[in-house]
Amino acid sequence: MEKAIIGKELVKILGKEKVLVDELDLMYYSYDSSFLTKLEPSNPFAVAMPTSTEEVQQVVRFAWENNINIVPRGAGTGETGGCIAVNGGIVLDLSTWDEIVEIDARNMQVIVRPGVIHANLNDELAKYNLFFPPDPGSSKMCTIGGMVANNASGLRAVKYWATEPYVLGLEVVMPNGDVIITGGMKSRAIKNVSGINLTKFMVGSEGVLGIITRIRLRCFPKPRARGIAMAVFDCLDDAPATVLDVYQAGVLPSGIEILDSSAITAVNEFKPEINLPAAEAILLFEVDGNPPSVDFEGEIIQQIAKKRARSVEWATEEKRMTELWEGRSVTATAAARVRPDGSRIFAGEDISVPLSRVADTLRAIRALGDKYGIKVVNYGHIGDGNVHTAPVINPENPDEVEKVLKMVDEIHLLAIEMGGTTTGEHGVGAVRRPYAEAEHGKAVEYMRKAKEAFDPKGIMNPGKVF
Amino acid sequence: MNFKDLPPIKEQLMKCVRCGKCRSVCPVFAEVKNETAAPRGHVFIVQMLRDDKVEPDHKVYEKLSACLLCENCTVNCPSGIDIHELNAAARAYIYEKNPSLGKELVFDTLWTSPGLLKTSTMLMGGVQKLGLQKLARNIGLTKILPGDLSKAEKMLDSVPSRSARSQLPEVNKAKGEKKYTVGYFLGCGTDLLNPEVALATVNVLTLNGCEVIIPRESKCCGLPHIANGKLETARRLAAHNIKIFNSYEFDYIITDCASCSSALSRKNMEFLFKGLKIEDTAYAFAEKVMDLTVFLVDVLKIEMDGDNLSEKRRVTYHDPCHLANAQGIKSQPRELLQRIPGIELVEMKNANTCCGGSGTYSVTHYDMSMKILDKKMDNAMETGADMIATCCPSCMMQLRYGTQRHKWNCRVIHPVQLINDFYLHKPAKTAGE
Repeated sequence: MEKAIIGKELVKILGKEKVLVDELDLMYYSYDSSFLTKLEPSNPFAVAMPTSTEEVQQVVRFAWENNINIVPRGAGTGETGGCIAVNGGIVLDLSTWDEIVEIDARNMQVIVRPGVIHANLNDELAKYNLFFPPDPGSSKMCTIGGMVANNASGLRAVKYWATEPYVLGLEVVMPNGDVIITGGMKSRAIKNVSGINLTKFMVGSEGVLGIITRIRLRCFPKPRARGIAMAVFDCLDDAPATVLDVYQAGVLPSGIEILDSSAITAVNEFKPEINLPAAEAILLFEVDGNPPSVDFEGEIIQQIAKKRARSVEWATEEKRMTELWEGRSVTATAAARVRPDGSRIFAGEDISVPLSRVADTLRAIRALGDKYGIKVVNYGHIGDGNVHTAPVINPENPDEVEKVLKMVDEIHLLAIEMGGTTTGEHGVGAVRRPYAEAEHGKAVEYMRKAKEAFDPKGIMNPGKVF
Repeated sequence: MNFKDLPPIKEQLMKCVRCGKCRSVCPVFAEVKNETAAPRGHVFIVQMLRDDKVEPDHKVYEKLSACLLCENCTVNCPSGIDIHELNAAARAYIYEKNPSLGKELVFDTLWTSPGLLKTSTMLMGGVQKLGLQKLARNIGLTKILPGDLSKAEKMLDSVPSRSARSQLPEVNKAKGEKKYTVGYFLGCGTDLLNPEVALATVNVLTLNGCEVIIPRESKCCGLPHIANGKLETARRLAAHNIKIFNSYEFDYIITDCASCSSALSRKNMEFLFKGLKIEDTAYAFAEKVMDLTVFLVDVLKIEMDGDNLSEKRRVTYHDPCHLANAQGIKSQPRELLQRIPGIELVEMKNANTCCGGSGTYSVTHYDMSMKILDKKMDNAMETGADMIATCCPSCMMQLRYGTQRHKWNCRVIHPVQLINDFYLHKPAKTAGE
C-alpha cells in the first residue's frame, strides 16, 4: 500500500492530530539512542499516536488487513533500534498516552497506560508511600510501556530485580486486533499461578508479539531511609572482591555501581561539584530500608570496604546522595566528556556476566580498547554483573566506525564466552539479533514458533530480537 | 561564516547520542508531547541540513523555530552540546537561503536603528491609545505582520509614552565618592518597555558610587536577531557595540537585562566570533560585562539596613532563561531580594522554567507561548505573592500579560526597582562603611 494512502487511512481512524505523515515529521522518528540509527536512520511510513485501546485496535486491524508492519515506541530512549521501523511500517508512538488509570493503594498496585514516564509514576506513588522499584538511568524520560516491553531494570536491580516481577497483568492488542487480558480478567491478586504465564511471556518481548496498552504493576512500600557508601580503590580487582564480601556478610544493598577511572573523569567533567577522587575504580553501595537497618548495613559495608579501599565516604544527606547517584546515572551519556572531539556511542553497551567474571571482563574490554585504539569508558551495575561499556569515538570518521563495530562484535562474543549474555537490560532490538543463535541455540527455533503463533503474518516489529 | 564551518556545527553536532534527556526538560515538548518537538530531534534535523539531506526551506524553519531557545536542554545535556546554538545557526542558514522582506524590515531596518525602533514601539502604544489598533485590526493590517502579531498585539497594551533614553542623560555622576566608572548597556526592552527599571538602575548605581555612562550610539544586543535567523546582523550589531563601549575606559559594563547580558557574554561572543579576526577584542569586551544583580551583590556588596517598610511584602522570583540557563546566575537576584528590608522571598515551583515569552516568541508563536505562560502563572499564583520579580524585560512583559490574563492583582518588577524604592526612604550604604 502506498505511503500516502496509509496516512489517509490512519487519519480517518485517529484524526489529523494523532497522525504524522509529513516526511520531515517522520525524520524525528528515524532514530533512537542506538549507534545503529546514528549510522542509518530509518523513517517509518507514518506515525500514529493512539490514546485508547479501541484506537490501537483499529490501527492494528488496518495494518493486519493490509500487511503493514507495526512498530511500537515509547520515549525512543532505547539503545537497540527496537522502536525503529527498520523494514518500514507504522510507528505507534504510545508515549502520548500517559494516563495513570488507578493507584490501588489498598492492594499495593497501580494501573497505567504505556506512556507514563517512570519518574512521574514514582512521584505520584510517593503520595501513597509506595514506589515502583526498578530504577533505570533514563527514569525522567523512559515510559513504563517501554520498560515492560524491554524488561528494563537499572541501578537498583541488585535488591529489587527488573521490571518483570512487578508486572501483575497486561492488556494486549494482538496483531489481528484481538484484545487479551493477561494475569486474570478481573484479578487484583498479587500471587497468581493460574494458566500459562502470558504476562511473563509478553514482558521483554520488545513489541514482536503484540501492543501493550494497559499495565497492572505491583508496588512496594517506599523505604523510609537511604544511605550511600562510596569506596575508592587503587586496584580494580579489589572492587568485585569487596562486593562479594558484602554479600557474604549478609547485606543485600539496593544497588552496587562501579565506575572505572575513565568513567570517574567523565562524571567530574560533567558535574565538577560531585568531585569524585581519581582512582582505578569507585564503588557506590546504596542501602535502603528503615533508619536503624540503613545505619547498621552502612556500618558493615564501611568496615568491609575499608579493608581494601583507599577511602570510604558514607552519605546520608539528601543533597550528597543525589549528587552521587545522579553522577552515576548520567555516566551513560557523560562518557563522551573524556574526549573533546568524541561522542559516546551506544553499541556493545549492555553485556552481563557472572559476578565471578566481572574483573576479568573489565580487563578484557580494556585490552580490546587498546587493540583497536579506542577509548572505552566502563561503568555499570557490578552488583548483578551488568557491565556498561561506552566506546568514545568520532562517529563521523569512517575508520573509527569500522574499528568500533569490530570491537563491539568482540565484546558481545566475549560476554557469551564469559558465561554471560549480550544484553542485561537494554534488549536485543535490531542490533543484537545476530547473536541469538550463539546465545540460545535451538531455543531460538521455539522463540520463532511462539512468535508465529501470536503473529502469523509477521507484522509486529519485524527485524528484531531473533 | 559558512554554516557548515561554524564551530558548533563542526564540533558538536556529532556528539548527540539522542539519549532523550532533553525531552524531559523542554517546555515546548511538555506541551506538544511528541518527538517532533524534542530538542534531540532538532539536533538531528540540523545534522540533516548540514549533510544536505533536507532542504533548507520554510518548513524546516518552522520546525526549528518552535523551540524557545530557553537553553534548558543545553544546560541539562549530558553530552555537553549547545543545542540552542545549533538551532540558531540552522535558522540563520535557512534564512540566508530564503530571505524574507518582512524580516528584513523588522530585524535589519527597525531593530538595528534605535531611533526607528523607538518610533515604531511608541507608535504601537499611540495606536492603542487612539483606538487606531482596532481600525488596523479591522482592515487586516495586523495580519500582514510576521508571526501571530494579530493575536499578540494585546501584549503591547501598556507601552510607556517616554523611553528611558529620553529621560536619562548620557553621563550620570556618582553621588558621593566615586568608586567605578560603569558603562550602562541599556537594552531595547528596558529602554522602551520598562523605562522605570532603567531609572532605578541608574539611581541605585550612582547612589553606590558609580559614574554611569549610557553611550548614545549603542544599539540592540542582537539576541532577537540570533533567534530570528539574522546571525550576520547580530554579528554587525555586536561589533558595533564592542567598538562603542571600547572607546570608553569602563571598569564594568552593566546591564539590567538578562538577554542583553547573555548576548554580550563570552559564551555568545564565542558563538558569534570564534575563528574571526575580532575574536580576542570581543572576549576582552565580554570580560567587562556583568549582569546588574551580580554587580550589586558580588562587586558593590550592597547592604540595606533597617525595616522602614511597615508590612512585609511577599515576592516570588522567576529565573529568566538567559540568566539562569545561559549564565548560571540564580543566587544573586535572590540574595538581593532577601537583603531588602520588608521583603519576603517565596519560591515558586519550577522557578527556572521558561515563561514562554522568550523575546519575540510570544509574537511568533502566540498559542504555544500562552500554554507555557499559563503553567508559569499557576506556579506563581500558588505562592500567594504580592509581586513577581525577574531580571528580563521580555519576561516582565510576558508575566505582566500573564497577571492580566489570570486577572491577578500582582506587580511584576525588576529587583532593582525594589532597591530603588528602599533608597527613596533611606540612603545607600555599602559593605565596609
